[in-house]
Amino acid sequence: MLGYALDRLLTLVPTLLAASLLVFLFVRLIPGDPAAILLGDAATPEQVAALTRELGLDQPLWKQYFLWLGNILEGDFGTSIFFGKPVLAVIADSAETSILLAVTTMGWIVLIGVPIGILAAVRQGSWIDQATSGLAMLMASVPTFWLGLYFILVFAVGLGWFPSSGFPSITGEGGLLNLRYLVLPSLTLAAPNAALIIRLVRASMLDVSREDHVRTARAKGLHPLRVAIKHIFRNALIAVAGAFGFTFAALVSEAVVTETVFSLPGVGRLVVQSILRRDYPVIQGVILIVVVFYMFVNLLVDLAYARLDPRVSLK
Amino acid sequence: MNGLISVLRSVRERRLATIGLIWLALVCIAALGAPLLAPFDPLDFDPLARLAEPGWPHLFGTDHFGRDTLSRAIYGARMAVLIGTGSVFVALVVGGIVGMLSAYFTKLGHLLMRAVDVLMAFPALLLALVLMTLLERSVVNTIIVIGTVYATTTARILFGMTLKLKGEVFVEAAICSGAGHASVLFRHILPNLVSPLLVQASFIFAFAQLQAAALDFLGLGLPPEVPSWGNMLSEERIYITRAPWLLIFPGTLIILTVFSMNLLGDAMRDSIDPRFRKDVKGV
Repeated sequence: MLGYALDRLLTLVPTLLAASLLVFLFVRLIPGDPAAILLGDAATPEQVAALTRELGLDQPLWKQYFLWLGNILEGDFGTSIFFGKPVLAVIADSAETSILLAVTTMGWIVLIGVPIGILAAVRQGSWIDQATSGLAMLMASVPTFWLGLYFILVFAVGLGWFPSSGFPSITGEGGLLNLRYLVLPSLTLAAPNAALIIRLVRASMLDVSREDHVRTARAKGLHPLRVAIKHIFRNALIAVAGAFGFTFAALVSEAVVTETVFSLPGVGRLVVQSILRRDYPVIQGVILIVVVFYMFVNLLVDLAYARLDPRVSLK
Repeated sequence: MNGLISVLRSVRERRLATIGLIWLALVCIAALGAPLLAPFDPLDFDPLARLAEPGWPHLFGTDHFGRDTLSRAIYGARMAVLIGTGSVFVALVVGGIVGMLSAYFTKLGHLLMRAVDVLMAFPALLLALVLMTLLERSVVNTIIVIGTVYATTTARILFGMTLKLKGEVFVEAAICSGAGHASVLFRHILPNLVSPLLVQASFIFAFAQLQAAALDFLGLGLPPEVPSWGNMLSEERIYITRAPWLLIFPGTLIILTVFSMNLLGDAMRDSIDPRFRKDVKGV
């Protein structure tokens, strides 16, 4: 297992390097002097000259890349044009919101997706199955920002149950109660993903239910619910567990839209605002971190597969 | 061609999928006949009729510039069809060629599929955002960006399928009888990929609508003056309480279009995969 994990980790290195090269080239592809771009409009010629030396912009491109990569590995992602402080610190400020949003969203996805998926599979072909399948497809067809706007209109402006925007830190005044700011955003973000999980749980439950061990369990006269949970769902979970992982990994970038609708100070909104502000060092930093995170979660999912399902060969 | 016919037949067997097909036909008609169907010019300002409620002569009401919502929605269908088919075209052509060539020429495949892996290391929306940063906001660029994002998944799917087909007896027979590479790829392998490509196309069309709307909403999609459903939502979102129709109409149009395309895609996929055939009949 450890050997397999190390092996997979090693295959990740070239992809990671290539991805970092793309992120590096991204700023170079923007027309103009990279040092001037990275410093923004307010920079003086002296500052531009200093950064040109620091980034080695007078050196060949491959040297610049390794210099840049070396800085990144030391934790130096450059300085934000807009905030005037290190990029890593800017990203760290928005990390709390993003992580909490992703975790609460994941909670909703499991809470909504799994029971409905099981129900649909157990009642295959019935009106319940048809209704939930239709509902799942509808949930996957709604633009998230539209759903978010109507959640705000109904539950925040209309009923006043939840705050409509922003997110004060849970370490500040209000403490854990501040999580109520995340209820509507996490539900918004969960909707299309829960739809996916409903369909997946249903499909993999139906797949497993055709297997021999399920027929044996039924033949023994076990209660249908017991068969559904213990014999079918636990096996179906292997396929679903992977989807949970991929979904979680994608949430950070999918949250871009939701965070904008609800004005949440998360990483997603930071990306959009940095793009609109042309704050390239921040864009570069966020993309790099999100990509690394995305790849590692995907790796963990693969490893979890190998662990959960002995049939996955550890080649 | 047999595959195509059986796919279409399976769509007809399902009530909802048929309704979806009818809706999509209506969207296409609106797109083609927009100048004839729209009662007003979608860009015409009418300062006297700002935020007019739905009624006569503005059936869907007007926006904060006094522009007719119905006319803008009809012209929006044009953008929806254009973005959808454009993205499908880019994704299938680029992804299809990369996937098929990679599976057929193994050495080239090592290189190309690695490149696909790298692009897939970027989450879809993030990749679209990054690409849009480098490009001007325009219809063509939006299509290129969304098409590129889905070209990666298409390449991976077609890579797997071509690899499988390559080992089939009929392909070997074609090679033995002296067929060239192009003939094997396009005359013998490609026809077997038509149905999965159709399914893929329908899902890409649906996703492209949502992605384009999201990009519009973030201010990184189509130019703001283009009447698209996403831009309508993005521009009028602050009037959600004062003039709710400004969000209900374009939103419903997006949902109906994406929903219809998903229904269609599902029906087609199930007809290809016999496991699903009797699963959800009638849905």
